[in-house]
Amino acid sequence: MKTYIILPAYNEEKVIKEVITDIQKQGYSNIIVVDDGSNDNTYKQAKSTGVIVLNHPINRGKGAATQTGIDAAKLLDADIIVTMDSDGQHNPKDIKKLIQPILDGKADVVIGSRMLNTKGMPKSRIVMNKIANIVTYIFFGILVSDSQSGFRAYNKKAYTSVYTYMDRYEFESEMLGQIKNAKLRIKEVPIKVIYTDYSKNKYKHMSRFSAQGLTNGVKMVIRLIENSLFK
Amino acid sequence: MVIQIVVTFGVLLFILPNIYSSYKQKNLTAFGSILWIFFWIVGLIVIWFPELIGLIGELMGVERSIDALVYLSIVYLLYVSLRQKMSINELSKEITLLNRKISLKDVKREKKKLSS
Repeated sequence: MKTYIILPAYNEEKVIKEVITDIQKQGYSNIIVVDDGSNDNTYKQAKSTGVIVLNHPINRGKGAATQTGIDAAKLLDADIIVTMDSDGQHNPKDIKKLIQPILDGKADVVIGSRMLNTKGMPKSRIVMNKIANIVTYIFFGILVSDSQSGFRAYNKKAYTSVYTYMDRYEFESEMLGQIKNAKLRIKEVPIKVIYTDYSKNKYKHMSRFSAQGLTNGVKMVIRLIENSLFK
Repeated sequence: MVIQIVVTFGVLLFILPNIYSSYKQKNLTAFGSILWIFFWIVGLIVIWFPELIGLIGELMGVERSIDALVYLSIVYLLYVSLRQKMSINELSKEITLLNRKISLKDVKREKKKLSS
């Protein structure tokens, strides 16, 4: 079974190398990093580890980078695809837990849910995630516990029957809508998110509220409305 | 009367030929060209026969006929804004697809190497 790990990355030069080596330590050598037009040395850092590194000449957002990674894995004939965040928030040890239901033939898509075990998670984040779940349900008619989780696993049937067009964070919701339309089997497994100093500091320049995702949340709703109008 | 003549000559000598050359250079579609010609001809008719504005006002049930023009302008501006939004969306999608195509070149090359 060829499992490909996809890491969409934007300005992650400080952690990308460590994230990749942590994944490799878990026994996964097929890693695709999609550098989404970073302004720093993310590409060089990722390339130095020997994994496949793709480069978006222009920054297009996490959704676009993830879809590029999926397309690359498709070309390389992957059996299972796992998408992860590249800032070290996701624990590579959870990959095994994520792909197990696919290996057992019990699911086509597995979502690593932060909401099944919210211990240690900031309350504001919990609220925002719940709002995002409701928004996803309104727009796409599918209710899951963590609609915005980027830690997901897809089998071949799943990744060949979905194709997202939304470039930013709202692609996670769009993907869920397509999963529902394709009648794929979904399973959610609890994952633990690592809130490192690095990931917390990433949003330091923003105000407290925007850091909690409020601004992103509003933008996401606007883009979802636009998408439903202009598709 | 002078202003009406100046505007008419302006439309006939500059704007209509400009629309025609834009159509020839494929910057405008046939439908777009007809729409623009229609727009300017209506403009010229209104300039020469201003009492027609009153008719439009009556048709729209607006007391002051100038209000009817303002409403029509708002509708037109909204339409233009919508068209621009659609065009930007389309361009944005195309940029993403182009980005993807460029970045996947290496993978395709690598795959070809492995299969040969």
